[in-house]
Amino acid sequence: VPIQAVLSAVHLESDAFLVCLNHALSTEKEEVMGLCIGEVSMTCFAVRPSVLKGGSLFRVDTSRIVHIHSVIILRRSDKRKDRVEISPEQLSAASTEAEISFSLIFSQMLAEMTGRPMRVVGWYHSHPHITVWPSHVDVRTQAMYQMMDQGFVGLIFSCFIEDKNTKTGRILYTCFQSVQAQKGSEYERVEIPIHVVPHETIGKVCLESAVELPKILCQEEQDAYRRIHNLTHLDPVTKIHNGSVFTKNLCSQMSAISGPLLQWLEDRLDQNKQRISELQQEKKRLTQELAELD
Amino acid sequence: MAASISGYTFSSVCYHSANSSSDHEGFLLGDVRQEETFSISDSQISNTEFLQVVEVQNHEPCSQLFSFYDYAGKINEENLKRILKERRQNVIGWYKFRRNTQQQMSFREQIIHKQLTQILGVPDLVFLLFSFISTANNSTHALEYVLFRPNRRYNQRISLTIPNLGNTSQQEYKISSVPNTSQNYAKVIQEHGAEFFDKDGVMKDIRTIFQVYSALQDKVQAVCREVEHSEQMKEVIQEEVNKLKKKIALRKNEKEAERRRKEEKEERQTEEKTEEICYTQMVSVDGTAEEQNHKIPDTSETPPLYSDVIVQDRDLVSQEDSAAYLPRPQAVGSSSQAPSVPGVAKYLGNGDGSSADSVQLTSSSQLLGNLAPEEEEENDEDEDGSSEYENLPNEPSESSDSDFSQLAEGRPAALRPEGDARNSQASDAI
Repeated sequence: VPIQAVLSAVHLESDAFLVCLNHALSTEKEEVMGLCIGEVSMTCFAVRPSVLKGGSLFRVDTSRIVHIHSVIILRRSDKRKDRVEISPEQLSAASTEAEISFSLIFSQMLAEMTGRPMRVVGWYHSHPHITVWPSHVDVRTQAMYQMMDQGFVGLIFSCFIEDKNTKTGRILYTCFQSVQAQKGSEYERVEIPIHVVPHETIGKVCLESAVELPKILCQEEQDAYRRIHNLTHLDPVTKIHNGSVFTKNLCSQMSAISGPLLQWLEDRLDQNKQRISELQQEKKRLTQELAELD
Repeated sequence: MAASISGYTFSSVCYHSANSSSDHEGFLLGDVRQEETFSISDSQISNTEFLQVVEVQNHEPCSQLFSFYDYAGKINEENLKRILKERRQNVIGWYKFRRNTQQQMSFREQIIHKQLTQILGVPDLVFLLFSFISTANNSTHALEYVLFRPNRRYNQRISLTIPNLGNTSQQEYKISSVPNTSQNYAKVIQEHGAEFFDKDGVMKDIRTIFQVYSALQDKVQAVCREVEHSEQMKEVIQEEVNKLKKKIALRKNEKEAERRRKEEKEERQTEEKTEEICYTQMVSVDGTAEEQNHKIPDTSETPPLYSDVIVQDRDLVSQEDSAAYLPRPQAVGSSSQAPSVPGVAKYLGNGDGSSADSVQLTSSSQLLGNLAPEEEEENDEDEDGSSEYENLPNEPSESSDSDFSQLAEGRPAALRPEGDARNSQASDAI
């Protein structure tokens, strides 16, 4: 019985989707990227042979669904605008220890919470002011990841797009894999259906992932500053200038990211408290109703 | 007029929308402030312009549609008050998320908007419309958004910006100093510049600002933990509420089943007295035939009180031959499916011999309960899609007709790989 394994769809939990959007909307000047954590589920189903084809054997199809439960925000190793890639070596070995231990901790956390092993199942990146379709570089990068893991998927979020005429803003997202039409030819994009699956609660792992962003930005800034700080031939005015650049950049991060993040967290907390109180009242009412029925 | 919304608030609206299977709506809270902009041109020395900036700070999602208005679009002020509470004074607009619809206010939305403007006392109330579309194979999705200020006659659409990190170019760091051989220069900046540095030669500002950042990040993590906790609690209580609802529904169905059983029993007893022979024949043919031949209890009459039924049963038992409740020898012999209590067979069966238990009935009644509001929402969308749009006044400026025909064609085109039909984006970044 011939078996065909097919990647049928990607299911992105809505709280993971939230973190992706947060990340993508954090900057319009560069592409951001991260990893998708989750699991792959497989369902086998028998397909009735076609009467026309005269087949008599049942074919077994395996459909794979990639479930993305959370994401990890990554640092950009190369800050040039059109280069968003980490090599497969980096992916498996991680460019910094912090990243690998973080992704391990995340996978562990998720595994403990769900009771199922979680792993990196894909990557996402943003296209600010650019069309959502993957560039040649993106397609090649995706192909590389697929050499490591066939089921690896790529997500792209396109944002900060506005049609000046209709004043319509747009955010798009797409899911893709890469395929080589013939051996030696260029890689091509393959579209993969993606659905955002409702998740009324924002999971712990997603929240922790979201609040990593300011840390990552600060870390990047510290590293950049450290690189020039060690240059001894700089005169005091230049040093003061560089120190001010650091201060300025950190201030930008705080007002653009940390501040709004904190505000959103507080609002969410208020909303939750409100909802909890409503639910508690409803619970009281229902308990009474049940008692009256008995 | 300009408008801004934080990326986190925006994502939050998208998140709530993704979680709802129907349309989603809510209120926008924030501030409107005046910004002065100075510009100098050749014709005038100074040109002061006042720019109104609408800042959306957070949103208040509505748990369901029609929570503060009815089908005719009439607003219920009591409900509105209950939903907004003290946040009422911060309302600067409202929003709606719809799937597969045009980027245009529906008739009902316009009516609601007018009333909200008046009730809330916000003359320039804004309306943010989200529209969601997908490609046929669901691999690519687009979320379009437009901010309207419907109370103005012209320029009803405003650009909505999402402030972000922007340019955090680290290329601003200087890696070399401008060469200078002046001894005076070196001396002065050394002497007076020392003020900026601490004994380790590290610039004081760096430490100071890092402390600010650290304290802020600590706070972010602390509130995050609180949110985590509240999310878990919310989930737990929601589960409990769901369980209670199920139990209640189950219990109600059980009671209904009991009640019907009693009624059936009574009917059977009165009929059996007169139609004993017929009953036997019917049962012998097919265990379920009786259900079709006996009349269905008239549910329009008030069912007897449970206590009454019990009393009657007992009376009947004592009065009648107890054999009435035991399967008749002939019935049992002819069909092993004959139930001991006729009424039970009728209720538990689906009329076609298949069996069903009360749990199934519970879930189906729940299904129906859940379907009802969704059906209403579907009707809402239908209305929005067809006749209402024909009645909408066109927007005065901005070539609205060509816009919308372009929208009808252009939107799917925008999702095709060949590129955006509207040339609004840079060409493919390849």
